[in-house]
Amino acid sequence: MATSPAAAERLLNLVIALVNTPVRMTKEQVRSTVAGYGDAPSDESFERMFERDKDMLRELGVPVLTITDAGHGDDFGYRIDLDTYALAPIDLTAAELGVLTMAAELWQDRSLRADSTRALTKLRAVGQAPGSTDLVAGLSPRVRDGGGAFAPLVDAVQARQAVRFTYRAATTGEVRERVVEPWKLLARRGGWVLVARDRDRGATRSFRLSRIEGSVRTVGPAGAFETPTPEELADALSSWDSGTRGVATLAVLPDRASALRARDVDGPRPTVAGRDVLRVPFRADWELAEEVVGYGDAVLVLEPTPVREAVLSLLRRAAALDDDGGTAHDVEAAEVSRG
Amino acid sequence: MADRAPDRLLRMLGMIAYLDRHEGVPVGELADQFGVSAAQVMQDVELLWVTGTPGYLPYDLIDFDASSYEQGVVRLTESRGMTRPLRLGAREAVSLVAALRALDDALGPALDEERSAVLRSALAKLTAATGDAAAGAVDVVLARTGAPHVQSAVARALRLGRRLHLRYVDAADVASERDVDPIRLVTDDEHSYLLAWCRAVDGERLFRVDRVLDATLLDESAEEHDVAEGAGTFAPGTDGELVTLRLASRARWVAEVTPVDEVRNLDDGSFEVDLRVVNPAWLQHLVLQVAGAVLEVRPSSVARDAAQAARAALRAYEELAS
Repeated sequence: MATSPAAAERLLNLVIALVNTPVRMTKEQVRSTVAGYGDAPSDESFERMFERDKDMLRELGVPVLTITDAGHGDDFGYRIDLDTYALAPIDLTAAELGVLTMAAELWQDRSLRADSTRALTKLRAVGQAPGSTDLVAGLSPRVRDGGGAFAPLVDAVQARQAVRFTYRAATTGEVRERVVEPWKLLARRGGWVLVARDRDRGATRSFRLSRIEGSVRTVGPAGAFETPTPEELADALSSWDSGTRGVATLAVLPDRASALRARDVDGPRPTVAGRDVLRVPFRADWELAEEVVGYGDAVLVLEPTPVREAVLSLLRRAAALDDDGGTAHDVEAAEVSRG
Repeated sequence: MADRAPDRLLRMLGMIAYLDRHEGVPVGELADQFGVSAAQVMQDVELLWVTGTPGYLPYDLIDFDASSYEQGVVRLTESRGMTRPLRLGAREAVSLVAALRALDDALGPALDEERSAVLRSALAKLTAATGDAAAGAVDVVLARTGAPHVQSAVARALRLGRRLHLRYVDAADVASERDVDPIRLVTDDEHSYLLAWCRAVDGERLFRVDRVLDATLLDESAEEHDVAEGAGTFAPGTDGELVTLRLASRARWVAEVTPVDEVRNLDDGSFEVDLRVVNPAWLQHLVLQVAGAVLEVRPSSVARDAAQAARAALRAYEELAS
């Protein structure tokens, strides 16, 4: 990674030269005329420097085009196309720039943070005045780190390029190589998820980014698969989108579980065996079961049966935890599974 | 922090485009505009001054009005064709559009009409400038937890700088009432927390918004309080009892969503997590929650307490049935 002032100066000179060249510049012209490249001590080090700079500029959104001379097929040069270079007309008010600044701070992920900071730098050129921050005072949204897999996956989704990675399946603990066509990255309760079509299974699958081990590599060319249809995508995303699944009936000891009481709908009702009866909306069986079980005997589930069974199953397992000095036997998962 | 070459390049390109649109800008204003120090702006201007097209003779170079610059005003006189603002890269557009959408979705109820209009217009302008397709790759849903009346009271208190009276129930299911000075609302994909100065304990506390039973705006203004850097995030503390859980692989989420000290993957696919536990009620809840996947608990007293609580709950179910 280039960190010296010389690197910034060299990159800037290269951009200005490639924007202003009438037709194109060959590598040799770059080396002999653009400030900063003449210092390269050898052909090899010039090549490395130029390739790295060219990749860097493209990474930053600068469209460095490769121009082939029709007369001399093997003779090519470079140019920056100003029409592609330019941002579409956009004018931002101070307040809008303030909102964008907060949006850029949403990401805790290092690569996302770098991307959004760069986007913001570019937009500051067209913002009306320094971004005001009082608009967003006191709000601090955060999205956790997606890890090293995140940036290559976003690129692959956009390029419609298949990827290969090693994945640790939570249900079995099995660690296996997967080849998938990446569709979309989701940040949902509990972290980042890749929704993709698994080529070996021939079916859509969700992968937690935190369970991807090692690096993500592209497989084959870009544009290798069709973007999923809205129906396919909606189908794949349905399990990740929350919404109210149902309303549970709970029997709660007096003065306990105020947090659940606050979510009670259309009460009050007659008590059952000295317990207050609550009706609490929930999104997923496992989610409510995991919440309720924490209250022990203070909260019992009356309805629906799957949530009640899930709680009972957790309690039976927990009741056996001190059977043999804190070691339980792993049995097949009978309980509801968490996403 | 050392300025990396790509970031500096983008800032300098942005400055030329900005200066082309604004006739003569004081150094301090330029510094605010680009979020850097005045000294950095001057270094950038001086570097821009010696860059240009090959040949690098005076008329090849980017140029500024020298007499204005001596008076601290940056006036661009030659741009070498670099006046157009640079487009956003694909990932850059995604990162901002996805963030704005998530904010719009999550903060909607917490924002007044004026602020949500700003958010929506920023989103519309950005989408128009970058293309809708760019945004499809990433989709973020932030937590929207807590009762609507609580969310809106918290948002108003933050906006108006007012003190709040909270009725709150903690992880141990103990309800309490207290006055707090709100500092900020921290929202992630799982929960929303109010970081506030609790006047009862005279210290900063994080309140999970979905456990705030009631929030009332008081007439007093909130006082300013200094909070530590990093307040509002959970990190494994160094104090608290060390507890180790060995869990079957399907409980992997424990390592992912709780602040754990250390995770060790074992050969049989199970794994161990070390937790620093300050709040025993929280730990017992966690153990009951993952009971189906717990293979071992150290110290064993933790397992015994959880088992006792579970047996009491099972008895309660039996009593209710009979």
